[in-house]
Amino acid sequence: MKPTNFSLSSRIVGDVAVIYPKGYLNNITGENLVEECSGLIGKGITKIVLNLRDVEFINSIGISMLLTILERLKESSGSLCFTDSKKMFRDTFEMLGLTVFVHVFASEDEAFQHLASGGRA
Amino acid sequence: MSLALKKALYNISSLLDLGEETTSSKNFTTRIQSALYVIMGTFLTSRGAIFSYKVEDDSLAMVVRNDFNETGALRKALSSDYLRTLGKNEPFILKAGHDDDDEMPLSFRTALVESGTEIIIPLWVKDEFIGSITLGGKFTAQDYSAEDRELMKIIAHHIAITLNNHALIDDLTVQLEENKRLYKEMRLIYHDTLQAFAAAIDAKDVYTKNHSQRVAKYSVAIARELGMTEMEIEGLYIAGYLHDVGKLIISNDVLNKKDALTDSEFKVLKSHPNLSYDIISKINFPWKDVVQVIKHHHERLDGRGYPDHLSNSDLSDSAKILILADSFDAMTSDRPYRNNIGLQAALEEVKRCLGSQFDPRIVGAFCRVLDKEIRGELTNPDILPHLDKNFDASIITSLLETITEELSA
Repeated sequence: MKPTNFSLSSRIVGDVAVIYPKGYLNNITGENLVEECSGLIGKGITKIVLNLRDVEFINSIGISMLLTILERLKESSGSLCFTDSKKMFRDTFEMLGLTVFVHVFASEDEAFQHLASGGRA
Repeated sequence: MSLALKKALYNISSLLDLGEETTSSKNFTTRIQSALYVIMGTFLTSRGAIFSYKVEDDSLAMVVRNDFNETGALRKALSSDYLRTLGKNEPFILKAGHDDDDEMPLSFRTALVESGTEIIIPLWVKDEFIGSITLGGKFTAQDYSAEDRELMKIIAHHIAITLNNHALIDDLTVQLEENKRLYKEMRLIYHDTLQAFAAAIDAKDVYTKNHSQRVAKYSVAIARELGMTEMEIEGLYIAGYLHDVGKLIISNDVLNKKDALTDSEFKVLKSHPNLSYDIISKINFPWKDVVQVIKHHHERLDGRGYPDHLSNSDLSDSAKILILADSFDAMTSDRPYRNNIGLQAALEEVKRCLGSQFDPRIVGAFCRVLDKEIRGELTNPDILPHLDKNFDASIITSLLETITEELSA
């Protein structure tokens, strides 16, 4: 059976929320990530950076969670960026065509610059 | 690696995710919700729902959903016969310009489109309609491809089986509960019948009124103290109630005779365990050894009992319990030929017959439970309420302690 440990933390930098998911985004506990983002969007935050450095694994369930977050942000005209992602995740996002909607950056600073310049995902 | 190959590998991985989630030990709703997430992640949609068909009211009930509003119109549309005319486990696209079926009723199409449904898949297992999956459009705004539809068929079949298995387990659970209820009801009827039967046995002799009931209760108290299983305890309870059933055949003149019995009369009286055995052995009891326990309730550890002159090693614990319970009640209740000898004298007699008539381990358990009852430690005493209250508790507890100490020495 695949590992299922998943947790997250977050911080606010200006008008941007940075979320640090940790572990395996491969089961229903990933709903916590959707809830966290939905809560932030509900508070008016429309720029979200997901720092994926501590994410070990993303499967189809994890992708569905990311899609739901994207949908919520789309409804709020918001932006979503991924940073510090492993190459295999970047390849998956690209293969699925998600990089049209999400900007993938090497670091948080690059994401901040993109969002500060009014960049929309 | 080509994009097509990467996508194929992703799809295979998704199927593995689906298999793992639907067969996990998580609860049903979590498994189906996870399956929906797998489907959404596979086909890149953020909107979807899985419905289950309810035979009892011929309707579809939403089991899980994500970003999907359940409306009355949608429920009504999905519950219509039209859904069942679509291909089994075949995805149907509702997007304008991609309609699979121009014959689709307008109300059906309107309800689904308004709910954000772009694809609907009726779920079937063989010839049984199970439910449906509905999905919104792709987040990427692309159309569902032919490959997507092929993959959906496989996934639909898998989800249909999962829903069907759950429905079967649900049905079995309902059936099991009904069987449990019926068993409980039958058990009550059985016990009522048993008690009525025991009353008939005891009614033959005014002196032995409620004797069978008391023996049953004493036996249960000892068995519980010994930590016997509920099955063994129930068997003893039955044996206690029915052990003297053979007396129904014995003449009242013998049973109620106040003077000493003649040899031939005593022989007749001593035949009652075998008579009980003959009657009871016709019944196929689910409890082990009930018939043997009844037959042997007048045996002794030293082999001087009757009818089979068995000795210690031949007798089961249940038989030894019934032997003690029966003798103790005989001593502490009035008989035609004598008054009851009182609790103290009965216990002294039990002590005297340790090892010859009564098993020390059984007597030990009996003394412990009686001591607990006298000290008020048991909320529902089985022995004390039936005893003559005319005894000195301190003398009895002291005597019980003496017996217990002697047994543990």
